[in-house]
Amino acid sequence: MSERWKITLLLFPALFIIGGLFLGGLVFGLAGSLGYMPLIGLTDWSLDAYHRILSSDSFYLSFVVTFYIAFTSTLISGCLALGAALMLRQTFAGRSVINFLFQINLSVPHLVGAVGILYLFSQSGVFARLAFEFNMISKPADFPAMIYDPLSIGIILQYVWKEVPFIGLILLANLQTIGTNYEAVARTLGASHWQTFRYVLLPLLLPGLLSASMIVFAFTFGAYEIPALLGQNYPTALPVLAYQAFTNVNLGSRPEAMAMAMIIALMSGLMIIGYARLARRYIRD
Amino acid sequence: MLNRLLKFTQKLGLYGVLGLSTVLASPVLASAEGPAYKNWDEVVAAAKGETVNWFMWGGADNINRYVSDWVGREVAKRYGITLNRIGINDTAEAVNIVLGEKQAGIDDDGSVDLIWINGGNFRTMKQAGLLYCGYLDLLPNNKLVDWTDISIANDFGLPVDGCEVPWNRAQFAFAYDNARTANPPRSIAELIAWVKDHPGEFTYPAATDFNGSVFIRHVFYYAAGGPKTLLGDFDQAKFDAVAPKAWAILNEMKPYLWRQGKTYPNAIATLAQLFANKEVALYFDYDPAIFGINVENGTFPETTRSYGLEDGTIGNTNYVTIPYNSPNKAAAIVLANFLMSFDAQYEKAKPAVWGAAPAIDLSTLSANDQKTFRALPRNLSVVAPEELAKYTLPELHPDWISAIETGWQENVAK
Repeated sequence: MSERWKITLLLFPALFIIGGLFLGGLVFGLAGSLGYMPLIGLTDWSLDAYHRILSSDSFYLSFVVTFYIAFTSTLISGCLALGAALMLRQTFAGRSVINFLFQINLSVPHLVGAVGILYLFSQSGVFARLAFEFNMISKPADFPAMIYDPLSIGIILQYVWKEVPFIGLILLANLQTIGTNYEAVARTLGASHWQTFRYVLLPLLLPGLLSASMIVFAFTFGAYEIPALLGQNYPTALPVLAYQAFTNVNLGSRPEAMAMAMIIALMSGLMIIGYARLARRYIRD
Repeated sequence: MLNRLLKFTQKLGLYGVLGLSTVLASPVLASAEGPAYKNWDEVVAAAKGETVNWFMWGGADNINRYVSDWVGREVAKRYGITLNRIGINDTAEAVNIVLGEKQAGIDDDGSVDLIWINGGNFRTMKQAGLLYCGYLDLLPNNKLVDWTDISIANDFGLPVDGCEVPWNRAQFAFAYDNARTANPPRSIAELIAWVKDHPGEFTYPAATDFNGSVFIRHVFYYAAGGPKTLLGDFDQAKFDAVAPKAWAILNEMKPYLWRQGKTYPNAIATLAQLFANKEVALYFDYDPAIFGINVENGTFPETTRSYGLEDGTIGNTNYVTIPYNSPNKAAAIVLANFLMSFDAQYEKAKPAVWGAAPAIDLSTLSANDQKTFRALPRNLSVVAPEELAKYTLPELHPDWISAIETGWQENVAK
């Protein structure tokens, strides 16, 4: 058997699962979004569902909210992770303990983190109760709203808490392979600390940082559970809006749910393509 | 071929009673299958050794315990059936599973055997032909049900058509803390004034929540001057006449709500939390038993009391139903029959267990059983069912409910 055939054959099981389940679902979803669901008596292909979505304010508002949450969480996580990785790379007493603590929340599920945020930051949560004990507030409503709030502070806090160690770990691994030689050379040539970081280390780290950030962005853009638990009811994140349409008792709103899911998938797809382009460009440089 | 013909005649026989015309007039038939069993003994014999996968809302520990522990033990002991309770957050999830299976052509080996259901989800399953129907006459306990009561024979205005078995009755009620609130509002009109006098102390879940939706319907009834004109099929003209009034009332309340109405809780559980944490002064639920449960487990203060409204509150019946593709229909039928039995309904009515109102007609029971039932103690925080039942309002057709929910999202939530 030729090498080529062998590779194809070995890849087949994985490709079959991905192709069959993922693409199959995507095709069914696409058909549904185009109004083709024979099961519930819809057999006419049309773009009505897309029309309805794209002509409603709530879709655009939800899009803005979702983008804002994903962008802010990714940006803050990226910056904090970069700082943390640079610090954890130094040798200092208790480094292994700090390193362990830094990574520990990687193993905590998102949902558990969300409940934690709820207990800590809600208007009757731990911090609100402390503020009450110290006479800083007189009733729950005096405590600043950080859950179910228009700025989505609770959601962003949860994502940052969870994603900083994720990006941080990737950066630490990158730092390990890069080593300290480039920086040492820059320093001997008279570069300042800042210049070494800005012109030597950062460009070397950028592909890793970008790829990790893109993953975080795509994930937070498409995630349902955190905005469902900690988000305000209107405007809500896109996945929550899609799920609401999907569980609407009226089967007639199923095409809209599918259309929204398709748009979310398209956005994520575009982001992955964008990421691949960016990453390739930086790696080539 | 002969088999098919037999089934068809069976179906005719069944639907003859319920009115063949309504069945034929509906765009999709509720179910193509009639029962395959001749008598009850056959069902019980076939059920032995089977496992029932019962999908039900799993948000209340006491209900879960009643089903998993008590009902599970009893059906295992009495009929040799294994009960597997699968907790879900939204009944639509179970409906979506069955729908997906039908789409995939899994017509006799589905994963769902029984669903706790009513209202819109029942409509969805009927609309998509996902129900197994026509076995009610086989059930010995069916005689305990008063099918002449329109609030049982119709699930949110939609005929049951032999496709569901009644399990509980529920009626909406308000709760407050006696120690904190002296005079809670006793009608929607009073509530509107009360909210303005107590800014930040009231809110209701968004229309996407089952309980939030029913609260909004109470305001809608108030705006319409009662539910009478809204009953029956959806009518756009009637809706347009009432809706602006209802939205105006809700928008007028908005700045005085929790968080100035800038957001609403997404789920009834959040409202329960807000009430427990004293962020809001009023709580409400479609199932008043929940007040007692929350007092028993320490979430709500012992001074919690509940009441219905002077202009009435909405009541409903909730049911269990069997999907058309359940592979364990016999066991599901036996379980459904057991759920209607005196033993199961009595156990469920105990305040320490659940405190749910029975779906069976107590007057059909023996004098002794009736006495036992009436002697049940009641948690102080739970309003007496007789008190509530004095002013019961009917539920609306699912199309009305959809229209109200969508209208609220567009006119109030924004």
